[in-house]
Amino acid sequence: MGSRVRAASYVVLDEAARRRRQRKALEALELDNFHDDPHANLVMHKKAPKFDESLDGKTRPDRKRKARSFEYFKQRFRKTFSSLLEEEQQLEPDPPNYTSAAARPSARPERHLCAVCGFPSTYTCVQCGTRYCSARCLHTHQDTRCLKWTS
Amino acid sequence: MTASGTLVLDNGASLLKAGLASHKDPLVMPNAIMKAKSERRRPFIGNQIDECRDASGLFYILGFQKGYLVNWDVQKTVWDHVFGKDCLGLNLSRLNVVVTEPFFNFRSVQEAMSEMMFEEYDVAGLLRANAGDLCVAAEPARPDNLCCLLVDAGYSFTHVVPYIQGKKRREAIRRIDVGGKVLTNHLKEIISYRQLHVMDETYVMNQLKEDCCFVSQDWRRDMKQAALPPADNPILRHYVLPDFTSLRRGYMKPRDPAAAPAAEGEQLIRLTNERFSVPELLFHPSDVGIQQMGIPEAIVEAVSACPPETWPHLYRNIRLVGGSSRFPGFRDRVYAEVRALAPDELPVKVTQPEDPVTCAWRAGAKLAGESRFSSRLVTRAQWEEHGFNICLDTFDV
Repeated sequence: MGSRVRAASYVVLDEAARRRRQRKALEALELDNFHDDPHANLVMHKKAPKFDESLDGKTRPDRKRKARSFEYFKQRFRKTFSSLLEEEQQLEPDPPNYTSAAARPSARPERHLCAVCGFPSTYTCVQCGTRYCSARCLHTHQDTRCLKWTS
Repeated sequence: MTASGTLVLDNGASLLKAGLASHKDPLVMPNAIMKAKSERRRPFIGNQIDECRDASGLFYILGFQKGYLVNWDVQKTVWDHVFGKDCLGLNLSRLNVVVTEPFFNFRSVQEAMSEMMFEEYDVAGLLRANAGDLCVAAEPARPDNLCCLLVDAGYSFTHVVPYIQGKKRREAIRRIDVGGKVLTNHLKEIISYRQLHVMDETYVMNQLKEDCCFVSQDWRRDMKQAALPPADNPILRHYVLPDFTSLRRGYMKPRDPAAAPAAEGEQLIRLTNERFSVPELLFHPSDVGIQQMGIPEAIVEAVSACPPETWPHLYRNIRLVGGSSRFPGFRDRVYAEVRALAPDELPVKVTQPEDPVTCAWRAGAKLAGESRFSSRLVTRAQWEEHGFNICLDTFDV
């Protein structure tokens, strides 16, 4: 029943699309948070007194006058990781540097694991390329994840 | 002005270890600002998280990205809390400071760190070093440790670093981009797909990973055993999730094939192959599609990049440090794989300090008491005269 229903709208992802999905999955592994800041949209009571909102939640009545204020640091040193990396690559283009230190691909063959249960897998989903190990895992995959979102 | 003591600050991306060198143990706390959905009035900085009653759905704000310090707002807030009266209660202007940096730290981050320490915190003297350098320098010199191969398995990545006569060999350093963060995220993903949506529960899943996961000594055998029915399955365990009302911290139930798993009101996570397939990523990053070699292969590559006469010395002194090396079975697995890959005639020895997380801090504290310490510092007078260039000349980061 499952495969006959699918035959009506048969989509097979090509190599480029599969690689894009893999890259998205890898980027997801690097995230710190998967949900939004719970304090982001706090609606303050209109009549509440306005305090100076600082990051640690405390007010700072005694900001000492330093040679360079903290605002200076925030402006000067706020950069994203990728811009810092670019800067560094221009400063140190020759190895040994951050880029040359990255480990290279392994000489061993990749092991394939079923995306549903995690045990070793031998089969690949025809449409999207995900690995599975048995018919039951294939059906779970088709019902829940296969091509269920675009990327 | 001469300093009256030394503060050792092992500034990690996940955990920060800080304390005066004269203290016995450091303060260990998350190097992050955390926000809880249950407590909307305030964020939690570092160890304030222990005061939080409901740590579900905890939102992390980290100063580090991919292992390097990019967000100084966050870092300064955490440091102010650590140095303030709630924690250490120190005035840095009378202290020397030893602070750690990742390997190949970016020049602008090094500048920012030096400026932050001297200009904002007014320190009397500064020593910036890689955490691994401290670990190696603190070992007393013996004939069998002329060279050392250090494996630092941290939160953001894992570095394999050969040290020849106490100095690291930069062209031989290898970095694997798998660390505690990737392991926890992978664990969250597979549990969310198979059982329960836990993508938001980094704090709880991290505890689960530390409680339940181990490194397999034989991947094929453990995979077969994890698939067996519950009565014969030595790997199957259930983990009780905290509900933050009666249970504040989750725990793993001991193996009991006979008993029914769930008691009254308990939320369980069933763990079979996840227990060892998650730490397996340190040995086979290709399991998740990261096209890099694992730790044992990286060790062999790092050693091969050094002069051949150092190879016996490196292989017989492999040290494992860092939080991600604390998985049970990690040391034995590294030994077995390196022994298989390394040349037969060379001896292989893999050791781990008693506490891999605080090893670098203890090394820094030990170094602060030695006579060679003062020659490695940059004093405030030197900074004022020469600026950042003196740091480039003095520090080997």
